Amino acid sequence: MKKKAIRYAMLFDLRKCIGCHACAVACKSENNVPLGVWRSWVKKVEKGQYPNSKEFFLPLVCNNCEKPICVTVCPVWASIRRPDGIVYIDPHRCIGCRYCMAACPYGVRYINPLKKIAEKCYWCHHRVDAGLKPACVMACPTDAIIFGDLEDPESEVAKSVTKNAVQVIKPEIGTAPHTFYIGLDIAAVEAKQERER
Amino acid sequence: MDVQVLYNIIHQDAFGLNIAIYFYLTGLSAGSFILSTLAYGFGLEKFKPLGKVGVVVATIVLIIAPFFLLIHIGMPSRAWHLFVYLNMASPITWGSFLLILYPINCIIYGYFMFKEHMKLTRIFGFIGIPLAISVHGYTGFILAFGKARALWNTALMPILFLVSAVVSGIALMILVVIIKDRFFSKEKKIDKELILSLGKLMAWMIVFDLFLVASDLIVLSISHSDAQAAAHLILAGKFSPLFLIVENLLGKIIPFIILIVPRFRTLPWIIVASILVVVGIFFMRYVVVVGGEFAPLL
Repeated sequence: MKKKAIRYAMLFDLRKCIGCHACAVACKSENNVPLGVWRSWVKKVEKGQYPNSKEFFLPLVCNNCEKPICVTVCPVWASIRRPDGIVYIDPHRCIGCRYCMAACPYGVRYINPLKKIAEKCYWCHHRVDAGLKPACVMACPTDAIIFGDLEDPESEVAKSVTKNAVQVIKPEIGTAPHTFYIGLDIAAVEAKQERER
Repeated sequence: MDVQVLYNIIHQDAFGLNIAIYFYLTGLSAGSFILSTLAYGFGLEKFKPLGKVGVVVATIVLIIAPFFLLIHIGMPSRAWHLFVYLNMASPITWGSFLLILYPINCIIYGYFMFKEHMKLTRIFGFIGIPLAISVHGYTGFILAFGKARALWNTALMPILFLVSAVVSGIALMILVVIIKDRFFSKEKKIDKELILSLGKLMAWMIVFDLFLVASDLIVLSISHSDAQAAAHLILAGKFSPLFLIVENLLGKIIPFIILIVPRFRTLPWIIVASILVVVGIFFMRYVVVVGGEFAPLL
């Protein structure tokens, strides 16, 4: 059988997630993410009233979509989808027009306050290319994050995605996200924080 | 059931005031240009005094507009990337060429108009109309491509922008023509006939604009949950004072009443209506751009 091309994917097993923010901290440290912006973060939502209540965690990273709208709208090809599925930003190409930020349905992009260009999670492609796992995967104390090649049937991520009921965030947008979740609660996605003006 | 967000991050705004101003200025420019071609392209003699004023205003406003883009982008020194690395799928790429071609065409069209070369003026006027429509229409596509933002992601956005551009263009023309006639013409006499027919034109464009806004709102309020939230934001939420009172009541409905009721058909009232429209359309851009990205996505 001919080996298919690599297609990276990430899976969050929310049954194991304890909401410790270790992934967010590791990401900040690995990628030199400035103060005030995040490449990965954990949204926390509480359903119900004590004692009949439960906290739900939603760790968020870039979905590295199959049909990324950020790549469509980038006027200068600074956002590119690699053949292995990782969507990354060329830091020398980006003009900081913020259109990708406006278009991203997941709000994962930010303007680096120091470099003035768009940045986001790209599954630590510098580590992945060197044969390592992304920083958040290594930091997770409960092994709730699985990363690997979705097209390799023997990989842990392919097995887990196949054998579990998985969801993605906002499938209706039509971007075909490749960050999957086991045990995703709809309230954790849809609950919105009131914003001050 | 109670659902409470205990922790989430606050996202940066993508667009904001600069982009709203930029959209507003391109709209004013496109509207003025289209009015200018009414006489010199389509031969409507009564609008002839608008020709030269229209093209001068259209050119000046469009030369100012891109500076708001340069302020907005993080790396203005890399703006040349827009002309070298072309992603033709991105509306910004369409715009970077339109923003070069359209002012050049405006200048050529204006040059022949001032040289009284009617045939070439007509030709460049007709070239300019699709350019003017595109230079503002593309800004509607910029927002419509933001497919997660319910207020932006509608096929009505380009036409909504164009109609409001024409409305604001007429209002600006009325004000500019009055100032020009009053202070800079030989006779110091205002062409009241022209102002009144412009007022009539503006009144019916306002009706068209209100129809489009209403269509958008009706569909938003029965569409998916994010769309309903967007409709709520502008009808009853934080942007409702700006949207309902400033944009629609003061900026459209009151000027429309002033323009159609016969006893208000006097110069001072038309000036008031035009000022209200010019300000109201600015807040239309502001509500669409800033309101559209106000609601958090996650």
